[in-house]
Amino acid sequence: MTSKTILSYKGPFYIELISVFGMNIRNLKDEYNNARKKLFKIFIELCQNVSNYSEDFHMVNHVQRIGVGELILQELEDSYKFTTTNQVKNTDAKILAERCELVNASDPLKLRELKREQRLNSPGEKFGARIGLIQAVMLSKNKLEYKNEEIDKDYSYFSLTIKIDKN
Amino acid sequence: MENITLTSSPTTPYFPEVIFDASKGVCEISGESYMEETYKFYLPLINWLKEYTKEVNKPVELNIKLIYLNTSSTKCVLDMLEILKDYEDAGGKVKVNWYYDKSDPDMVDEVEDFEAESGVKIELIEFN
Repeated sequence: MTSKTILSYKGPFYIELISVFGMNIRNLKDEYNNARKKLFKIFIELCQNVSNYSEDFHMVNHVQRIGVGELILQELEDSYKFTTTNQVKNTDAKILAERCELVNASDPLKLRELKREQRLNSPGEKFGARIGLIQAVMLSKNKLEYKNEEIDKDYSYFSLTIKIDKN
Repeated sequence: MENITLTSSPTTPYFPEVIFDASKGVCEISGESYMEETYKFYLPLINWLKEYTKEVNKPVELNIKLIYLNTSSTKCVLDMLEILKDYEDAGGKVKVNWYYDKSDPDMVDEVEDFEAESGVKIELIEFN
């Protein structure tokens, strides 16, 4: 097997949709039970990042902001590969890249320390816990791959990819 | 003090079921938690615990039976645990039980982190 696309979507990341996609992930092959659990958690987390933070968004009833982006989930021989892409400000792309570098450079102990520190110090409310990327790496035990493609002087498309091993 | 009862629905699996019973002092959150605007959902629960620990002043038990919670929800759960820790430090009786699926070892790590961050002892119990 080279790679097989399990799921591909482009549009607004409504929770109703994320939830249905998530259920499909849970129903993937039985033999990779632990990988499916991890994949589901990472899938929800990264999709909600798009929904909450994409600079391209829809407003629902003039109050609720739903981010627009893309996702692709692929199955490889020994792993699943999940990618999300969304629009960000160029200034935020730089911060995100730095955050990915920090997470990738941290060993499991350091990641756990970072997670505890960030969650405790997050202002909460609409900011959440700010540990989604850390959690994704802690769960998958693989590094984040990121790519930034500039659209114009203000905005970029920022892609995040993570691999979840089947065993 | 009023109870909080929120039932779950298969069409919105991202909302957990909630039963906060003031007469028994037992609070339960079960199912899954990955809704949008997490804080709006948890704020009434956080306020309930603040009111209970301030005004009712009896033992309180929190039973968490969440199969999955997203990181935003973890922040809200931590807020609740911190309220319970303050209550315990002030002499209140607190018990926290976390029910987990033994085929999900990541949840055990999560509970250890909650204990370390909040300072509250959490009893880990396997789902039957």
